[in-house]
Amino acid sequence: MKDISISINKVDNEDKCSGKAKYVADYKLEGMLYAFTVRSQIAKGEILKIEYPELPNGYYVVDYKDVPGKNIVKVIYEDMPVFTTGKITYLYEPISLIIGPEKQVLNDLLKQVKITYKEEEPVFEWTDSVVHYHFDKGLGEKAFQGLEKVEYDYKTSYQEQAYIETQGFIGYPEKDKVTLLGSIQCPYYVKNAVVQALGEKEDNVRVIQATVGGAFGGKEEYPSLIGCQLAVAVKKIKKPIQLIFEREEDMLVTTKRHPSRVHFEGYVLDNKIHGLKAVVGIDGGANIGLSGVVLSRALIACTGAYKIDNLDISGDVFRTNTVPNGAFRGFGAPQMFFAVEMFFEHVAKKLGIDPLEFKLNHLAKQNDFTSTMGIFRDPVLMPEMITKVIETSDYLNKRKEYEKSEFKGVGMSLFFHGCGFTGSGEQNHIKAKVKLKKDKDKVYILIAAVDMGQGVKTSFRKLVSHILEIDIERVIFDNPDTDFVPDSGPTVASRTMMIVGGIVARAAKEMKDRFDEESFVVEKQYVQPEYIKYDEATFKGDAYPAYSWGVNVVEVEVDKDTYQVSIKKTWSVYDIGKAIDERIVMGQADGGLAQGLAYGYLEVMEHKQGKIMQKNMTDYIIPTAMDMCPMETYLFDNPYAFGPYGAKGVGELSLIGGAPAVAMAIEQAIKRRVFKIPVTPEYIMELINNGEN
Amino acid sequence: MVTSYIPLNLDECLKILSDKQVRIVAGGTDMLIQNRSHTSMPIGFKSDVCYISNIEELKKIYEDETFVYIGSVCSLEAIMESELVPELLKNTILEMASPAIRHTATLAGNIGNASPAGDSLVPLYLLDALVEKRSIKGVSKVALSDFITGVRKIDLEKDELITKVIIPKISFTKSYFKKVGPRLSDAISKLSFAGAYKLENDLVKDIRIAFGSVNVTVVRRRDLEERLIGKTKDEVKKMVSEIVDWYEEFIKPIDDQRSNKEYRKSISLKLLRSFIENIE
Amino acid sequence: MAKIKFKLNGEIKELDTDPSRRLLDVLRDDFNLTGPKEGCGEGECGACAVLMNKEIVNSCSVPLANVLNKEIITIEGFSKTKRYQVIKDSFAKAGGVQCGFCTPGMIIATESLLNKNPHPNEFEIKIGLSGNLCRCTGYNLIIEAVKLAAEAGEGLW
Ligand SMILES: Cc1cc2nc3c(=O)[nH]c(=O)nc-3n(C[C@H](O)[C@H](O)[C@H](O)COP(=O)(O)OP(=O)(O)OC[C@H]3O[C@@H](n4cnc5c(N)ncnc54)[C@H](O)[C@@H]3O)c2cc1C
Ligand code: FES
Ligand code: FES
Repeated sequence: MKDISISINKVDNEDKCSGKAKYVADYKLEGMLYAFTVRSQIAKGEILKIEYPELPNGYYVVDYKDVPGKNIVKVIYEDMPVFTTGKITYLYEPISLIIGPEKQVLNDLLKQVKITYKEEEPVFEWTDSVVHYHFDKGLGEKAFQGLEKVEYDYKTSYQEQAYIETQGFIGYPEKDKVTLLGSIQCPYYVKNAVVQALGEKEDNVRVIQATVGGAFGGKEEYPSLIGCQLAVAVKKIKKPIQLIFEREEDMLVTTKRHPSRVHFEGYVLDNKIHGLKAVVGIDGGANIGLSGVVLSRALIACTGAYKIDNLDISGDVFRTNTVPNGAFRGFGAPQMFFAVEMFFEHVAKKLGIDPLEFKLNHLAKQNDFTSTMGIFRDPVLMPEMITKVIETSDYLNKRKEYEKSEFKGVGMSLFFHGCGFTGSGEQNHIKAKVKLKKDKDKVYILIAAVDMGQGVKTSFRKLVSHILEIDIERVIFDNPDTDFVPDSGPTVASRTMMIVGGIVARAAKEMKDRFDEESFVVEKQYVQPEYIKYDEATFKGDAYPAYSWGVNVVEVEVDKDTYQVSIKKTWSVYDIGKAIDERIVMGQADGGLAQGLAYGYLEVMEHKQGKIMQKNMTDYIIPTAMDMCPMETYLFDNPYAFGPYGAKGVGELSLIGGAPAVAMAIEQAIKRRVFKIPVTPEYIMELINNGEN
Repeated sequence: MVTSYIPLNLDECLKILSDKQVRIVAGGTDMLIQNRSHTSMPIGFKSDVCYISNIEELKKIYEDETFVYIGSVCSLEAIMESELVPELLKNTILEMASPAIRHTATLAGNIGNASPAGDSLVPLYLLDALVEKRSIKGVSKVALSDFITGVRKIDLEKDELITKVIIPKISFTKSYFKKVGPRLSDAISKLSFAGAYKLENDLVKDIRIAFGSVNVTVVRRRDLEERLIGKTKDEVKKMVSEIVDWYEEFIKPIDDQRSNKEYRKSISLKLLRSFIENIE
Repeated sequence: MAKIKFKLNGEIKELDTDPSRRLLDVLRDDFNLTGPKEGCGEGECGACAVLMNKEIVNSCSVPLANVLNKEIITIEGFSKTKRYQVIKDSFAKAGGVQCGFCTPGMIIATESLLNKNPHPNEFEIKIGLSGNLCRCTGYNLIIEAVKLAAEAGEGLW
């Protein structure tokens, strides 16, 4: 049999190249109306009065009074209303939809809406903690006594997903049903949220995925909000309605990567960190949503790729009167790995040791305890991977040479990503189900996983055809439609291939045994590996079933006059278990790293009094082809027993190491310590003028 | 709905300008974005508009002994491809926007827009470019530095049209443009700098310095440049710190979503310093 | 309102409409050509790119008035050509397509580039693609695709 990693053409190339692929904005339904959102113009306060202009025939306002079920969007922490009942907690919070057939008229109506508020002083400081976590490992704080303390603080700011296709849905009535077609990552998140908001029977809500023009976490939970709003409208008006964000609206109001602050205290003896204290804060924005999970994933990653025996770790999600923050590829890990990688670098420098040597001395090995007293059960190939990256990048020589020269630098980051949901999340919350259906000579994959560009359609068809030893053309995988596919869980957390693929592989194996039957269905459910035991409250146990690992080396040059950073080249080595399709994995590797690098040096987003300042693609700077550099990538096979063919998670891993590696490279180039990202030319100037080496 | 006029020749256009109250749209890359309303809705112009991009007479680039003439409807890409246009301007245009925008945007539009961040304005100020204006009443020429009177303010009557951008032919020993944007292409400048000089037997015959995005319009100080003319290059190089001090007071940038004033000022002056130090 | 005549994917069209509409809306709404996408609506991302007289333009930043007497080719029209086949195969081979939202624009940019410069070097390719934002790929595989297309399409451009 051919090695599964050998690449095949992606199944959706033809449609996507020719422009035939249909994204949500490409659908036009007979008699379709449009929805514009009425938004608050203040960051905090109370609506005293709303005056709508007189609505022409065929125009509607939909607000909280129309929500038949619970006026709360179903996410982990339920604090986001579908429409506000009057309390305003951030600028541009949605108040109502104005709906009708003519955009021009809607635009005029929108301008005439008059709202009187009772304004309150908005809170932008990180003082209102809504989620607080704390855990220890080993002796905790007690182990710190008598050891040398080294402490530093790190900061990260917003990152915007900047998918090129903005958020959007079309909703329409079908008999007793409300149906939503949208640009989404998680069909069942939307469905369950709508069921709750409408107070409807499950059967009466249907969610279909349109081709998705990029998501990166941004279409994980946010679509549940606008999906609910639109569903309420469809239920009331009983006509097809389109709700698609303009770019500026999307950038101003949708969830972003949480800004973070990390305070580290390392307790050192004989050039080793024996104890680590971390105090972490993230800005949840006005609604907490899934920020608690982001925080917990960040905290779990607090030791980076290293082993530290004694930990005292705490963190808070703060509520502020700013746009709610949420899921973004990496989910807390990019913030924490930036901080921890820089911390190890800085502690080593302070101790006068070579940072790489220092890191190697702390590197976690197979059977070591994780930060939560779980176990790294599988082989950890990091030493070999580091050797490989050093060889290919000539890291050691460059590192030495650039120590002496100016404005050139290399940086190396070591990192992992916990694959899948934390702990028993899969078993307790998600309970993924998949179906494979054989119908004569065709096999249908029935799962809720979304292809948002990461190639799920191709890799799953390939996986099934490989196991069944049939032509890939005979395996069908349509965009998920909740009327036809079971809930295999959301397309998040690098779980799709490892978890859903694993179940699909089991189903396919069973199907193979019965393949001479003409038509039948195989249904399978997630089974948790027995070893997983995790207590979410105490952060004790195996936080993840498996870990993917990575090493990035980044070489930069900083312009001596303008302090602009140009990235010369990157070298990466990843252990993702086993690639189901090498070219697809390479695409994930490049794309994730590009986002990670840009997070580290390019992408600036700030708010002023709760207003996002970079509100369009002109001002929010993502890389162009000119900004990116050649990327050399190597994959190490390290099969994971429960993943299909040994596959672990890929999607998020490649984003995590970019920012610390680029920050360290810049640090070497400018001979100044870097404590926050993005490392912009403005920040570099500040460091050169006032920073310490 | 606003009324749109689409003249096919210059006379027709001038007549419209004289008879009606209209805004001019050339490539529209500024006008469309500034007046954008919503997907699937016409551009939200606040007055009637006159589209000039179909006027063939204004698409020519030619020269005589002393000047290069660029028709006001020439696309940036066409200007970049012309052999007549000075390298300094071409190098600048290559750093503006992207191929797609350069295929429709015009030089006259960049002037008409009169943004402090308009990139082409920096070399055009440096080159002493002139603007030819025309109305039904006649034609006139003004120096670009007089034509632009402030942020988004130009000296143009309602019946007038920019018909040409006129660039004196000057030879320099070296000319240089540096755009500092937030990324390497397809971006609005944080600041920009242009410098040029001509040496004869080590004597500075001509030297010109211009800064973009650090004041309401391009900063160019002929009075300061004149102080350097006639000196040897080494004398000028020795004066570098003094020269930087002269310019300091004219660099008055602002904070915005793209950068801050400290950076803009400091880097502008660094680029000046480096330009002077590298006179060869 | 005004009559605007132009050539669209090889056919002469005449519309009686508001010339201040964006070309992008006319293509998508009047002709149901949904290959050009709206990514930003402000000329920045290139998802809406089409060919105007063989050169790439961003249809969200072109008023219909400026299309008068011009020839417009969208990805739908271009996809009927041999050049498209070569470019598409190269994108597939290199792995240059992920979510696909930028892809029609990228292909238009590739055509516009190769039409002017059939043998671009890497830097010229980057310039050629510099107005087309892609959030998925990090560009390398797209740059690779353009190189492959230039080689495989030897003689076509
Ligand atoms: C994505 C993008 C990137 C950009 N990048 C850059 C950049 O890097 N650097 C930069 O400087 N600019 C940039 N711009 C701005 C813009 O492209 C330029 O200013 C361009 O030169 C404007 O030309 P236009 O023909 O499109 O102008 P239009 O939008 O047609 O007009 C601009 C202004 O000039 C007036 N005008 C135009 N022609 C005439 C005339 N003949 N007579 C009198 N008035 C006239 C108009 O009334 C209007 O006020 C960018 C724009 C976009 C959309
Ligand atoms: S939509 Fe036209 S350039 Fe982005
Ligand atoms: S493939 Fe998704 S934006 Fe390019």
